[in-house]
Amino acid sequence: MNTRPQKNAEPESQEEKERVVANEVRLNRKQWLIALLSSGIILAMLPILWTRIEPLPDGNDYRLPYELSKDYWLYERMTGTLESNDIAVVGDSVVWGEYVRPDGTLSHFLNQELSDEPFINAGVNGLFPLALEGLIKHYGKTIRNRKVLLHCNLLWLSSPEADLSSSKEQAFNHQSLVPQFVPRILCYKADIDERLGIVFQNHLPILQWVNHLKNAYFDQQDIYQWTLADDGKYPQGYLNSYRNPLRQITMTIPEESPNDPDRGPTSARHHPWSSTGIGTQVFDWVKPEMSLQWKSFQRLMDLILKRNNDLLVILGPFNRHIMASENQNDFIDLRKRILADFKNKSIPVINPELLPSKLYGDASHPLTAGYALLAKRLANHPEFNSWLNR
Amino acid sequence: MLFHTWTFLLFFVVVLTGLSILKKTTLWIPWLLLASYVFYGWWNPFYLLLIVYSTALDYFVVHWMDKCPAKPCSISLGERLKGKGFYNRTHSRTWIATACLTFALATAAVLSPNQLRPLFLGGFILMFLIALASLLESRRTWLWVSMLNNLSLLAFFKYADFFIGNLNATLERFQWTFRVPEAYTLMPFQLDYLLPVGISFYTFQSMSYTIDFYRGHIEKETCFIRFATFVSFFPQLVAGPIERAGNLLPQFKNPPKVTLDDLADGMSLFLVGLFKKVALANYLSFYVERIFSNPADFNSPALLLGTFAFAWQIYFDFSGYTDMARGVARMMGFRLMLNFNNPYLAISLGDFWARWHISLSTWFRDYVYIPLGGNRKGPVRMYFYLFITFVISGLWHGAAWTFIIWGTLHAFGIILTRNLERSEWYRNRMPRFCKQLFVFCFVCFAWIFFRAESVQDAWIIIRSIFTGSWTDPEMPLLMLLLMGGVWTYQHLFESKFRPLLQSGIFKTALATLMIVYLFLFSSGGGEFIYFQF
Repeated sequence: MNTRPQKNAEPESQEEKERVVANEVRLNRKQWLIALLSSGIILAMLPILWTRIEPLPDGNDYRLPYELSKDYWLYERMTGTLESNDIAVVGDSVVWGEYVRPDGTLSHFLNQELSDEPFINAGVNGLFPLALEGLIKHYGKTIRNRKVLLHCNLLWLSSPEADLSSSKEQAFNHQSLVPQFVPRILCYKADIDERLGIVFQNHLPILQWVNHLKNAYFDQQDIYQWTLADDGKYPQGYLNSYRNPLRQITMTIPEESPNDPDRGPTSARHHPWSSTGIGTQVFDWVKPEMSLQWKSFQRLMDLILKRNNDLLVILGPFNRHIMASENQNDFIDLRKRILADFKNKSIPVINPELLPSKLYGDASHPLTAGYALLAKRLANHPEFNSWLNR
Repeated sequence: MLFHTWTFLLFFVVVLTGLSILKKTTLWIPWLLLASYVFYGWWNPFYLLLIVYSTALDYFVVHWMDKCPAKPCSISLGERLKGKGFYNRTHSRTWIATACLTFALATAAVLSPNQLRPLFLGGFILMFLIALASLLESRRTWLWVSMLNNLSLLAFFKYADFFIGNLNATLERFQWTFRVPEAYTLMPFQLDYLLPVGISFYTFQSMSYTIDFYRGHIEKETCFIRFATFVSFFPQLVAGPIERAGNLLPQFKNPPKVTLDDLADGMSLFLVGLFKKVALANYLSFYVERIFSNPADFNSPALLLGTFAFAWQIYFDFSGYTDMARGVARMMGFRLMLNFNNPYLAISLGDFWARWHISLSTWFRDYVYIPLGGNRKGPVRMYFYLFITFVISGLWHGAAWTFIIWGTLHAFGIILTRNLERSEWYRNRMPRFCKQLFVFCFVCFAWIFFRAESVQDAWIIIRSIFTGSWTDPEMPLLMLLLMGGVWTYQHLFESKFRPLLQSGIFKTALATLMIVYLFLFSSGGGEFIYFQF
């Protein structure tokens, strides 16, 4: 307790005293101007300079690795390097290839079928229309003046939960890509501060770049958390305590392992859905006019067209084999209404033939052979070819 | 709403814009009050009821106190009970109204359902006290009404659980079947029993106004909105500095004049505070939490470093908050008092308390220590009053034995070293660095009790520090570098290198570095430690 008598100092002199005794970094107007300008330049230039010194993995089959699914800055960089004649294949995990390796995806087989047309896998694992819209809006600005093949996955209308239109709180992927304020997603309960943080991140390249560093070099953690990370054992060990965080930045963006145990024909997951014991399912289809995901998909198409792209949509093919027989009519009705919406908007759409049951890994993801067959069918589809030759 | 969030940034931009538009009208003060209530209600709108109540009561108490005669009246109580012979008519009217209300509330307390009974009982006691103060027309009685009201609020929301818990534990030990009902059962309308954020801060601020008026140090504030703005002024509402009416209220008399220098100064304060909180305190908190959540799992070096880390964490956290508070106020043209002044460079415990949480320590000095008798009644009583003051200070920080022990340790520290600190040998012969190290080590030792989750945990930590084996503490190197960097900076600031640190180039470079660092390393999150007090 301060037991000294308090002196009534005159404000200005007291302030002067404070400046001397307390080591605050007090800047004047001019110094602030210089500090703001210099930090602004550094923060603006860092992401730009980084693209010059950090090489980007290449190859037509390149896709954003699963671990980097939330590295949207990398996605923007990747799509920014597309050649003028490259065709961006945009979509969720169906385009990305949930059960397959990079050489088993739709874009890979389309490249095989149509060797003159370079199809680029611009899908991201874990997306859904609401997030895809955010991805293209904020990070897909370079997808313009080109052909875009957009995949429409009706799985997202298969229940109010999948549609994110239920009011019960739900955890879902890519929360930072969904609209934070309008339209309102009732099952998304983030507080206003988190939402604002996301809005700022989606608009400030420096924050996106920092997010890239976290994803690419620090196991999806910020640097502080990385230095404190434990090994998950008991008693806990802290492997990174004495490591130099700067040495983590190897300037080599992690790529997918060629021997990914979770993907590819040799993986335990790469099996027809019927052999996994899932059985047939009844879907609680959401009406298109009530669906958040479908409305978002429509906005996404508008955005892609507004950026002067030549758009073609592939609808499904959804795995109808998995659907209980009493559910088939609802699905056919839903598809009809969706197709009618495409027609009303004059957007070309291909509704491919259903693949054989054994070529699906689940309700919407084909297996390697499924993608190959789908690519073959697309390559022979007259509307697809007329779109390519346009 | 926390200062280091995007929400606050937007809020502040709106407030600042509104203030600059409205400051040529009389609406600028209501605008500040509205902003303060929005800021406070952001946590929980129910908290607003409490602060409005507390503000209104103190405002009216001072209003009534102002109507009292300077010296106690000699008019008989009998006359007064009949509503006659009052020095001031306000008191006679208040007496009649509150006497009726006292009766009504007493009846309601008897007849109401169990759930509402505590509320009516509380109202009855308050009305009874107001009726009594009106009847006696005594300034001192009005002061007691304010004190009892404010301290009752604190006691109920902050300490009731602690005292009832301890009381029931004692009853159980003596195998008595009677139990005092838990505090939450006294809440009306099944409202949640929560500790309102910053209650200790605004209660103390409001009380200082009443006491200062009673002592004749300040004028009565006639405008309720201005007084409410003083109590709830958002930059310092939830974690101080605890301002005095004499400093802050006059600043609300006229619209603030904000110059570009104010903005530059405010931004400087805010930046340093933000850096302390986001870059330093939040980072240290991870390590501190690891150690203090399970101290039995760690050995001597980890516990020692965890304690040092907490010492820096609480300093960065709390002083960072007050820096930001002062910066925000400054950007609006208001000046708040200095609250921290490099406390870990203190050369004695007395010096430490002159540098740490200055607004609280001066509050306790002026409103507890000196009124008790201070150093006017001989050394034995002075030590006793110091002891009392520090124990209360410990209790102010929280309702737990750990805080009481923390306050008691500081009390003993001050009492035992007071004469030593004043000796010729200590002042002139002992190297400054040794004195600083001694104070820092003692303060860190006391922090163990402050941070430990229980007294048992604190003993485990102390025992293990001295008897545990020496194994790798696994504190991140980056954390050590940051702590070392700040410590070195503080020492350099007190050395011949100060002119270099104060040069324009160095400060500009440091500010640039801090801004860039914040963008690169900020991990967000993390409430302020002192919000719980």
